[in-house]
Amino acid sequence: MKTNFTADQRSNPLMAMMEENLRKCVHCGFCLPSCPTYSVSGDERESPRGRIYLIKDMLEREGAPNKEIVTHIDSCLSCLACMSACPSGVNYQHYIDYARHYVENHHQRRGFERFMRMLLVYTITHAKVFKIALKVAKLAKPFSRFFGLKISNMISMAPTKLKTAEITNEARIYPAEGIRIKRVGLLMGCAQNVLRPSVNEATIRLLTRMGMEVVVSDGVGCCGALSHHIGKNDIARDSAKTNIDAWLKEFDQRGLDNIIINAAGCGTEVKDYAYMFKDDPAYKGKAQKISDLTRDISELISEHQLPTVKLSNQPNIIYHDACSLIHGQGIRLEPREHLKSAGFEVVEIPGRHFCCGSAGSYNLLQPTMANELKDRRLALIGEVSDSNKVSILATGNIGCLMQFASGTDLQVVHTVELLDWATGGLKPPY
Amino acid sequence: MRMPTPDAKIISKRSIIVERLQQIVPRGAFGENVIIDSAGLSAYECDGLSAYRQLPLVVVLPETTEQVSKILKYCNETGVKVVARGAGTSLSGGALPLADAVMLGLGKFNQILNIDYANRAVVTQSGVTNLSISEAVSAADFYYAPDPSSQIVCSIGGNVAENSGGVHCLKYGLTTNNLLGLEIVLMNGDIIKLGGKHLDSEGYDLLGIMTGSEGLLGVITEVTLRILKKPETARAMLIGFDDAALAGDCVAAIIGSGIIPSGMEMMDKLAIKATEEFVHAGYPSNIETLLIVELDGPLDEVTDLIARVQNIVNGLGSGYIRVSESETEREKFWAGRKAAFPAIGRITPDYYCVDGTIPRARLPEVLMRISKMSQKYKLRVANVFHAGDGNLHPLIMYDANKLGELERAEEFGTEILILCVEVGGVLTGEHGVGVEKRDLMEKVFTEEDLKQQQRLKCAFDPNGLLNPGKVFPTLHRCAELGRVHIHHGQTPFPDIPRF
Amino acid sequence: MNKSLIPHTKKEVLDIIRATINDKASIEIIGAGSKRGWGRPYQTSELLDLSKLSTVTLYEPQELVMTADAGTRMEDVRQILAENHQHLAFEPPDLSLLYGGSKNTGTLGGTVAANLSGPRRIQSGAARDYCLGFVAISGRGEEFKSGGRVVKNVTGFDLSKLLSGSFGTLAAMVSVTIKVLPSPEKTRTALVFGLDDKMGIQALSETLQGPFEVNAAAHLPAGIAKNSSIARINTQGQSVTAVRLQGPAISVEKRCQGVKALWQCYEGFEELHSHNSDGLWSEIRDIGSLLNNQSNQIWRISVPPSEGADLVAKIRSDIQCKTFFDWGGGLIWLATDGKLEGVGTIIRSALRLAGGHATLLRGSSELRLTSDVFQPQEPALYRLTKSVKDNFDPGRVLNPGRMYEGI
Repeated sequence: MKTNFTADQRSNPLMAMMEENLRKCVHCGFCLPSCPTYSVSGDERESPRGRIYLIKDMLEREGAPNKEIVTHIDSCLSCLACMSACPSGVNYQHYIDYARHYVENHHQRRGFERFMRMLLVYTITHAKVFKIALKVAKLAKPFSRFFGLKISNMISMAPTKLKTAEITNEARIYPAEGIRIKRVGLLMGCAQNVLRPSVNEATIRLLTRMGMEVVVSDGVGCCGALSHHIGKNDIARDSAKTNIDAWLKEFDQRGLDNIIINAAGCGTEVKDYAYMFKDDPAYKGKAQKISDLTRDISELISEHQLPTVKLSNQPNIIYHDACSLIHGQGIRLEPREHLKSAGFEVVEIPGRHFCCGSAGSYNLLQPTMANELKDRRLALIGEVSDSNKVSILATGNIGCLMQFASGTDLQVVHTVELLDWATGGLKPPY
Repeated sequence: MRMPTPDAKIISKRSIIVERLQQIVPRGAFGENVIIDSAGLSAYECDGLSAYRQLPLVVVLPETTEQVSKILKYCNETGVKVVARGAGTSLSGGALPLADAVMLGLGKFNQILNIDYANRAVVTQSGVTNLSISEAVSAADFYYAPDPSSQIVCSIGGNVAENSGGVHCLKYGLTTNNLLGLEIVLMNGDIIKLGGKHLDSEGYDLLGIMTGSEGLLGVITEVTLRILKKPETARAMLIGFDDAALAGDCVAAIIGSGIIPSGMEMMDKLAIKATEEFVHAGYPSNIETLLIVELDGPLDEVTDLIARVQNIVNGLGSGYIRVSESETEREKFWAGRKAAFPAIGRITPDYYCVDGTIPRARLPEVLMRISKMSQKYKLRVANVFHAGDGNLHPLIMYDANKLGELERAEEFGTEILILCVEVGGVLTGEHGVGVEKRDLMEKVFTEEDLKQQQRLKCAFDPNGLLNPGKVFPTLHRCAELGRVHIHHGQTPFPDIPRF
Repeated sequence: MNKSLIPHTKKEVLDIIRATINDKASIEIIGAGSKRGWGRPYQTSELLDLSKLSTVTLYEPQELVMTADAGTRMEDVRQILAENHQHLAFEPPDLSLLYGGSKNTGTLGGTVAANLSGPRRIQSGAARDYCLGFVAISGRGEEFKSGGRVVKNVTGFDLSKLLSGSFGTLAAMVSVTIKVLPSPEKTRTALVFGLDDKMGIQALSETLQGPFEVNAAAHLPAGIAKNSSIARINTQGQSVTAVRLQGPAISVEKRCQGVKALWQCYEGFEELHSHNSDGLWSEIRDIGSLLNNQSNQIWRISVPPSEGADLVAKIRSDIQCKTFFDWGGGLIWLATDGKLEGVGTIIRSALRLAGGHATLLRGSSELRLTSDVFQPQEPALYRLTKSVKDNFDPGRVLNPGRMYEGI
């Protein structure tokens, strides 16, 4: 693609990198059908190829971006399906992240919008505040129709029942059963441990059963993805640095074979720390090391062995690929294989894979599109669930889990909860 | 590239036009369907031939045929030009916007309307992608045969407008041979149904005429296609040669022996290397030219034909033959070929895809001359083409940010196309004339030939408002063409700055 | 009788048409004149006979291409191709029996101008799908060419399609380039007997939806089957449902077994081998011997295949007629009393729901004047058709009125 960056613009290394990335795009459009928002809207501006053009226009012109550009950048899910589809090797992930950051710094959002975004990041990433917010939301449920779509969507996403976590975010070591084969650090996730503490509980039970010592290190908190995806890069970098420091301390003092993540969205982010700090001399090496150690829970299981299956008559389940797993980390087969080894019949959702609309905080900020995508996904799931006697929907990310739970009668679980159950753990729901 | 001078009068009336379009196509659930801001317009500034760019006057995204009809009728009455666009994947600039034209995007026509196995037909809106039609009937073991490499994204309406081919058209034909019916809207707003689930047309074959008309005759809103049962077996062979001429001989020998493979593709070393990096199709790296030959049909027939092809290949002394052993492997072989164009994007910032057809027998000679030209223009070229039907796709690599490289690439491309015509072939096999090859039309056609084509245009769109500036190097007014005594005067396009 | 002009060169054709334009006269174009009964009756002052333009100018078997003058006899084309084990895959019929002429008289130009096709239409298309290019003289007296000699070609509008099936109303073709293909190695026909129309078409539909690569599928009711010259067909006293399988021997054998397995539920499965098989399909292709009453009017009806049986039942409730089906039920040949009026109206009103079109292929000139020979068009489509004619033949010089009044 031809670009028109000035020499001055090119002297900014980040901008130069964006240009290099951009130039790989040959406008072939292979990304279009993979893009959920384009499939719904049929509007080029709502496609990766269109957004690449809009962003190029924004970066070349500099200054404050036009409102329409912001609209179409905001409407991107960052599901990264386009990256799997791109034959030319455009790194859309880094490109859209950069654009969001640019918008954050050059665009003045309306007061309410700005406040919402701040509030969202702060609330979700601070467990105690989040719990209070969820309680408020629960109380507000009967009144949700009096609020605008965004607020009412937030309220409706809040679970009616909140279980108190038996496992908290506090530093702790969970010893391996039998001979210890590995020592792994677990990222508890910020929202996940409030919304669905059982995911971490099941993870810890499963890993310790596999002979791993699981450690929750002091100081490890939010991975930063949520802030990152709404352009608040500084907050994201701070979160990342805190985590890197905490894990490296653990690594140096007591050793750490891997960092384990069971929320796919967080996994994509932590694996990308290396890129985030590649121009930061102080953190470059450290971040690389952390990214290299990071595994999604399904990858870790593939490297070892699932414990003996104790369950019989496992039900049929449907598995939905979280975008951050299938596109962000290229993990597609592993979860299916584990579920099959654990004795579950995995029913595939017909048609092409699409995002469920959750996408971090997307369902809260872009409710119309998010709900449309959820409905489409659930309609496809409905096509196969009854005929295959499926009552359980499994996925590998807390966001998808909450998104589906707000719209289906199927029981929505995390893959690891099923694996734990089948190998001697508890049966969800707990 | 010269385009018609934008009409300042139309541009000055933009706000009135926008207002009327907004009345016809109101705001939808996911945003405005009339796009007017410059950033939004920039997303529509080019198609797959991204060297040529132009912001349209306004973009409108209708949702129904009635809206299309109203838009066209209004534009026809007010003298506003219209350019239709499907998925924007034309490689000849067929959907290049004009500064004084409404761009009519058909992205919202994305529903498959009816699948009818008893009549082996699918009725679909025109913005549906080629591949999703095959996907929709795949569970019943049917498919839609034409499969252009961009099938994952290109729209079926665009396929009809360009008469798209693909890797399997050697045996199963082009779009025109697989099309049963159309709903089109003429520039005057008339909605016309052509054909249906039955065969042959009543009256003139306007279905055939619409196919390959590059958006100059009417806007396609609905398409009825013939679907085929998937062959019982299909196996692809990779055949490697150290010498491109031998590969050419191999193609001729296979066809000459009475075998019509379902696909027969050729790739050269550079193309093999680039695609292998993206797809890992398992192509051999130490050869000059790769042939992919696919044979399909009943199992025994395929086995028999593979043996015959192997005999031919052995006789020519190729050192490399690999036959796909599974469906996954076969798809892998093709995945490389189908991603070949964009994969070239990995080894060069820009490429220019040439598309000419030659008689098969001239293949070795033409390849040799292209390689000489490559030295002359000092630009690398990767060759990917449909060898079975002599359709060449040399990919000329250049860097658009380097002064003069685009121009050199274009000159190189032009010289290749002229060579194609010289050996008995044509300017374009499947990518269309568009703006790209427009000025070369006179190398193939006489003025008299071109006049007849323009007369057809006059029959459909007498005011010349649909996609003007494409296909024809000179514009004749219909009134002038209509006179019984013809004047030979031409109205060349005045210059506008190139992009 | 109009004046007959017989040019020997392209230049002479051009001169004749230009002179006709200058004289404000009109011209009827013929090759061998074998299909003159097809179309509305019309009067012209002159007859342009292209039968002396009859040279095959290019034939390259390896390139699968042939260029020949428009007046080249189809018999010659077939013979040259057969010498190289090639053929015209669209299987053009010989309609001479239908129009009472002598056998094998058609020309290449006429075949394209009428867009002929045979039973293989369902798999391989019609003349339009094989016409790669042409040279012609328009009704304005302008010589022009379109297309080329290669299959993959989108250089400009596809005027080959425009002239295919235009019955000489837009331009007089002087030379045509066609795509040719290797002849199939083996042929076999699978048959079952005794099915009614609906079941017969159902049986055809099942095989067409299967993986057998059936390239012809016909159903002949008992009254038609008895007219066949093939003993196995005419002695049964029952209807015949038939599909054709062609290709390499081993493949034909296997596919035929597949059809047999599929048709187990029907009685009396039989196979016809090469000679009888070819005989049956040429009868179905050429129509004349199956609908042998010379006084009948004959209609050609194209419908969605699944509608064929119901449509015929509906027509039968109004008129007595003989019918048989080709194209898996999608092509209906209908013969009825040549004097009967209003047949077209009945057929076309039945077609309204089913979709499709009907052509009066043979009928007395009175009938062809009072009934619409070609399917009447909706107003918008007619305007477009007229506009096309206006642009290519504004003076109504070429075959005026043969397809539609005023066109």
